[in-house]
Parts: sequence; structure tokens; C-alpha cells
Amino acid sequence: MRRTALVAGAARGTGALAARRLAAAAWDVVAVDTDEAGLAATAFRSPNTHVRACDITDPKDVADILGVTGAVHRLVIAPALPAPEPPVDEAMRDGFLGPAGLIRAALPGMLERGAGEVIVIVASGASPATAAAAAAARAYIEALAAEQRGRGVAFRCASPPAEVPARLVLDEIDRSLARPGEVHVAPGRRPLRLAPRRPRRARASAPPR
Amino acid sequence: MRIRDAAVASAMFTVPAAAAQAVIAYSGLEIAEPLAGRGGRSGSVGRGGRAICSLAFVRYADGDLGPYHEFAVAFLVRPPGTPPPSGRGGRLRAMRDVGAFIHWLPVNQEFTLECGRSIWGFPKELADIPMDLAGRVKRCAVRFGGRTAVEVAVRPGAPMPGGAGAPKVDAYSCLDGVTRRTPWTLTPSDVRMRPGGAKVVLGDHPVAEELRALGLDRARALSSTTVGHLSMTFDPAEEVRP
Repeated sequence: MRRTALVAGAARGTGALAARRLAAAAWDVVAVDTDEAGLAATAFRSPNTHVRACDITDPKDVADILGVTGAVHRLVIAPALPAPEPPVDEAMRDGFLGPAGLIRAALPGMLERGAGEVIVIVASGASPATAAAAAAARAYIEALAAEQRGRGVAFRCASPPAEVPARLVLDEIDRSLARPGEVHVAPGRRPLRLAPRRPRRARASAPPR
Repeated sequence: MRIRDAAVASAMFTVPAAAAQAVIAYSGLEIAEPLAGRGGRSGSVGRGGRAICSLAFVRYADGDLGPYHEFAVAFLVRPPGTPPPSGRGGRLRAMRDVGAFIHWLPVNQEFTLECGRSIWGFPKELADIPMDLAGRVKRCAVRFGGRTAVEVAVRPGAPMPGGAGAPKVDAYSCLDGVTRRTPWTLTPSDVRMRPGGAKVVLGDHPVAEELRALGLDRARALSSTTVGHLSMTFDPAEEVRP
């Protein structure tokens, strides 16, 4: 059975690359954004990528898109291009309320199946309003992960600095999905390791899924 | 044809040159033999000489053929019409001109399958190709109807400094009796290399049987490479008559 991914913010940047990588891996990808020209570029010569103009801050658009996709296996929410100094209400709507609404709509299908992945990539905090929205999104994902622990849905929230390339952001998220229980992903930052490494347990070589 | 973003893991193996020559005989091309054996001075592949077989897996994220996964089995070959080199120095100098003969090229998407076969004559066939290029160890499998043909794992190497230019290679293919040459330019970045570092497990596909006969099942690699970001161009193919 083909897995289905819903990628919001798929017209450009990290969202576009996430959609293309999933399409390359033979997922059925539903790519949504308000930028239709950008969506067309993302879906270029990819028959398993389906595009749909959708404003995730509009509950009707969100209901429509989930009506089309049904339950998805993976939800990826990548940041829209923020205005340099957005008003607080606009930043909160784009960076927190929209993503939270989409997650609320997609989550029941995942919980019903007992499996799913919710990945939110927040914008780097170029302005106080954007930073506040990013902080709210991080807190929301963390609380959701705690609330839904043990029900088969993985939650990840990545906060990449602006200078980290999209491919490295997505690589770090992919690696984090192999580490159960981890919620926050910090691409581009390596924690200083002071303690000596513990010897790793031998592990059978497992091919990719 | 332009590829704007791909990621690759690959491994090179030394294999018996005579056996490798037999595998690619249908192309009319001559295998390159960088490591000498006995004999082989008259233009034929020498007894005991070693050739290079490369296994690679590629994720094409952004390119003119759309997004897809690909696995490649390639052999280094001499350009058609060039005599076999003699002496150790000659063999090393000749390596500058070698091409890559693509013997098998499974892909997981139909658009690239059709284009690859019809435009460049690449031996593409449709397969399931799960791949992990994000982990420390890069892994790939090629499966047909749930049956595994080959699995490859490549361990991380040491970072390599950026190259001064874009390497140019001739890719050769042979489909339906027609041998073609495709000029190929690569611009890699985030390159890591190491000696050894790869593990191959072969299944029950006919190409896996060929690779098993070359001694590749669980063989030690000569070297392995990962490329975090790769852009490429393929020029139009031209027919060659070796």
C-alpha cells in the first residue's frame, strides 16, 4: 500500500524539497500552498504528486483538503515566506493557528490508524512576532506529543536557523524519526559531547523500509 | 537534461577482469583494467587482471525527469577504439579517459523509465527502491514484487575538499543491440570518501547472479563515497560502433 503524505507550504523552500523527496520515495504526495505556480514547479514530472491550492489558515480549505486526502500517514508543515515585520496577529495566524488547525484536522485519522507522523518546521525568528509564533508552535507540538504518547503518532518540531540548507533540515528530521520519543529537532546544532561514548550495542543490519 | 539536486552513495569493487568482460560483452566495449594480471598485452583482457565495478544508489529530488530513486551497476570501460595501455604508468594514465558502462539501472518511477530507455538507451527497469540517505549509514535495497535483488549499505567517510571543476565522464549504455555514449558532467558537493566501507547482500535476480559470479556478495569494497548534493547534466546520446 502506498503511503500518503500531506505537505503544506510545498510551493517553495523546505516544503517543496520535502514533497519532492517523498515523491521520489514513491509516496503519494498531496502538496498544498496558496502559490499555485510554485506548486506546479514542485510537482514537475511527478505523477504521484497532487497539488491543491489551499490556505491552511482557512478552516474550510483545511476541511476540503482532508476530505480529498482522507487519513494521511505523514503531515509536513513547512513555513510560508514570512513578511519581514509581520503584525503579531498575522504572524500568529500563519505560524501557529494555521498549522495547529491543520494538525487538529489530520490527527484523528492517524490516531484511528494507530500510526502517523506530524512534522512541523517553524520559521526562524526574524522578527519578534515570528519568533513568538514559532515558540507557540513548538509548545503546542510538545504538549500534543505528551498528550498523545503511546498512541502511535510521532511528533517532530524543527527549528532550523535560516542559514541551514533545506536538505540538512530534512536529513535531521529523518534521523530524528528513527529516535522514538524525540520531539524537538535542531538542525545545524550539534550538542557538545563531554561524556565518553557508551559502546553501542550490536545491531542487525536492517534494510530501509 | 539537467539534474539540479540529487544525493548519492556508491562503492567501487575490484572484480576479475575476464569475468567482467564477459558480462558486458554484449556492448562490444572493452573493460578497463587498471590493475594488471598476467598476459593481456595483445589487446584482450589479461588473465588475473582486475576491473572496477561500481554500485551506486541515487535519490533524484529535483531534475528534468522528476523525482525518483535509482540503483546503478556500472563497469569502468576503455573508450571505443583505444588500445589497451601497457605498463603500470600507462594503465594509470589511461584511467583519466575511462568511461562508465551502465549495465543495470533500475528506477522506481515510470517517466524516467521511459525517457531513460528511449532517449539514452539506459537499461532501466521498474523496481521498488527503498533508500535511506539521511542516516549515518546510507542504505538501499532493490526489490521486485517483494523479492530482494540487492541490498547495499555504505558507511560514512572523511570529508573531501571541494573540486576545482566539474568532472566530465562518458556514460555508455547498450540497449536492444545499440551501444551509445552520453557525455555526463557532474558537480558534487558535501563529498565523503573512505577505503572499504560498503556491504553488499545479493538476492535472486539475474543481475544479482551476475554480481555473485563476480564475487560481490558480501565483498569488501575498494572504496566508498557519499555525495550530499549533486547536480548533473546529460548531453544527447550518440551511437557508437565499438
